Amino acid sequence: MTEAPRQLTLEEWDRRYEQLDQAGLIQPRYGGRLSRHLHDGDYRLAKLRYDNSPAALRLWNFLLTEEDRLREARECGKRVVGTMKDLGTVPVIAYSFSNLVAFYPDGAWWIPCVMELSAGLLEIADSLGIDESFCPVRAMLGAFVTRCHFPVPDLLVCSAGAVCDDFSAIAQRLEDLGHRILWWEVPHRPVPEPNEVSVLLPGGLPAPERQVDLVKSELLRVKEALEALAGTSLDETALHAGIKKANEIRRCLAELRRLVYTAQCCPMPALEMLIAEMLAIHYCSDRDECLRVLEALLSEVRRRIASGVGVLGADAARVFWVNPVADLRAMNLLEACGGRICGTEYLFTHALDAIPQDRPPMEALAATALADPMAGSSRQRAERICRDIGEFGAEAVVVSRIPGASHCALEGWTIQEVVRSKMDIPILEIEVPPVADAAGPGLRTRLEALVETVKRRRRT
Amino acid sequence: MICAGIDAGSRTIKMVLLDSDSGKVLGRGLSDQGVEQSSLAQSLFESILNETGIVRDEVRRVVATGYGRNAVEFADTTITEITCHARGVRHLAPATATIVDIGGEDSKLIRLDGNGKVRDFAMNDRCAAGTGRFLEVVAERLATSLDDLGAMAARSRTPAAISSMCVVFAETEIIGLLAAHTPREDIAAGVQAAIAARVAGMAGRKVTVPIVFTGGVALVSGMKGALESVLEQPVEIAPDPQMTGALGAALLAANSLDHSPFLGVD
Repeated sequence: MTEAPRQLTLEEWDRRYEQLDQAGLIQPRYGGRLSRHLHDGDYRLAKLRYDNSPAALRLWNFLLTEEDRLREARECGKRVVGTMKDLGTVPVIAYSFSNLVAFYPDGAWWIPCVMELSAGLLEIADSLGIDESFCPVRAMLGAFVTRCHFPVPDLLVCSAGAVCDDFSAIAQRLEDLGHRILWWEVPHRPVPEPNEVSVLLPGGLPAPERQVDLVKSELLRVKEALEALAGTSLDETALHAGIKKANEIRRCLAELRRLVYTAQCCPMPALEMLIAEMLAIHYCSDRDECLRVLEALLSEVRRRIASGVGVLGADAARVFWVNPVADLRAMNLLEACGGRICGTEYLFTHALDAIPQDRPPMEALAATALADPMAGSSRQRAERICRDIGEFGAEAVVVSRIPGASHCALEGWTIQEVVRSKMDIPILEIEVPPVADAAGPGLRTRLEALVETVKRRRRT
Repeated sequence: MICAGIDAGSRTIKMVLLDSDSGKVLGRGLSDQGVEQSSLAQSLFESILNETGIVRDEVRRVVATGYGRNAVEFADTTITEITCHARGVRHLAPATATIVDIGGEDSKLIRLDGNGKVRDFAMNDRCAAGTGRFLEVVAERLATSLDDLGAMAARSRTPAAISSMCVVFAETEIIGLLAAHTPREDIAAGVQAAIAARVAGMAGRKVTVPIVFTGGVALVSGMKGALESVLEQPVEIAPDPQMTGALGAALLAANSLDHSPFLGVD
């Protein structure tokens, strides 16, 4: 049942689902109508617009059934690891054990959006002294308190140091609540001194070798804790295999990003691409299925590009987007305003770059962790953004501030100044709250104005 | 041919009727904004048509802008106020490099390129502290009118420091200042400086001259000086600053017609 690419409402997806089902659509066991997730309280879904491909349906169902998967894994005897403020390193180690499953409790930051504040998670965080002056990831505290959104992990691992001050404070409050956390440190990534021994990190940035060694020693502590939890040791061969598998996912995502962001006609909407990119961090608790989901999406994108079709007009303004949005609807809004995503920097570029396979695995993982955009200066981050803007041919940049996130206040101006000086394209800073309905008209004006600016510049 | 531009702002609706052949403004007017946005815009349109003796069918194209632009049902199209302000200012002062627009409930800073087109822009999106609404609240609290607030501020010798980012809390600060017998003149001047500082914050470290000031707040005496003081650059008030967005909308309406002899293609 091939249909021209377009975006559907949830209601329209139900009708399409009916047709696909009758035509014999083969689905994974977590498949089904998207609208069924409304019964779980995911009310925001009724206000989003979705890609109409079976591959996108599979992506959404995969995302929205993660909790079931985690509970099943535990019932099957697997141990559950919560990897907090870790964008792609510890999960690689955890999934190298056959009896561990890792997930990303920080992902709870989307619950206030998806459940339209009905779960009361932010209020719980408020009551624990973590109010709106912190990033919306504070919803995670509420999720730990209610125990309604994911099983309490057998082990909690959290990075600290030169990563995110908000998250560190929130996780410390979580520890106060009795959840023991294994902390590991990510040090600041300075520019190496002239005579200092340095290492080239994934993504191309240099770092002092001593810093990589420090991270490696920290990750070794994490590995030991995971070995104790799994009841088995992890040898280099298994870790190599884990890295290889992680790289398969990263390569798949890299190709997906390259194709979607450089295509003449946008073959996959921004929202589905955001969800897909996030899989690089956490695999939705099933690494093998994660790869299959992404491959299905990639295959659909290739098919659309080969047919010269897409979901948006070919004249859509090509926008590079910085930082993930708390309200998923913002991605739809950009497209409704005449834009499309051509490049992203969602604060985890190091989870998208391939992990070096020609180095000892723990050293390779340490180098990857140290490539975290938050571990270095905002200027370095901005320079990577400029490089990617050039690669994807973006015509404008949106820096999306996360309300309460301290890093946003620090980095916004630097990113804007560097992009302005190097790229000569319009750059707009906006703030997207977890449920942005009230801010919608203002956001729409800004995004429409950005699109108008791009289109008028094309005429010059 | 005649074109219309309507700027449906948060506090007022502004409208300009333009002769697209000569570039002459044939009529202009404004009215308060309200709940019935569509009918208010319609009424203003009809009243300007009556005043100028122009019949509706003579108006070839209508462009709506401003926060209420989508409520203007009789508009042929909508364009954001960023683009419209830029177009209006470019018409009035072609060399402009930076526009500071302070309206009723938002403020924006628009950077223009050498061709007068938008390079990029910033809008305040946090609170009303950088907007005309702040002045209204303060005028009420100081028991004066908006028109007299500027004159009052001009008499200040030591402007008060208003530190709050939020109008509600700033109002509390003002109550505290009044209780401490701070002269009303100093409070008024302090508020003007606070608004200017908020706008300057959007400009960052670099603001390119010439700077043109638009929006209803440009009509409040003392605000130009407050902006010049924080930006450390001369600021010019646009002619008829409240109407710049509507003028730009009318010009863009004219540009979209097949012929626009004096305007050129935008």
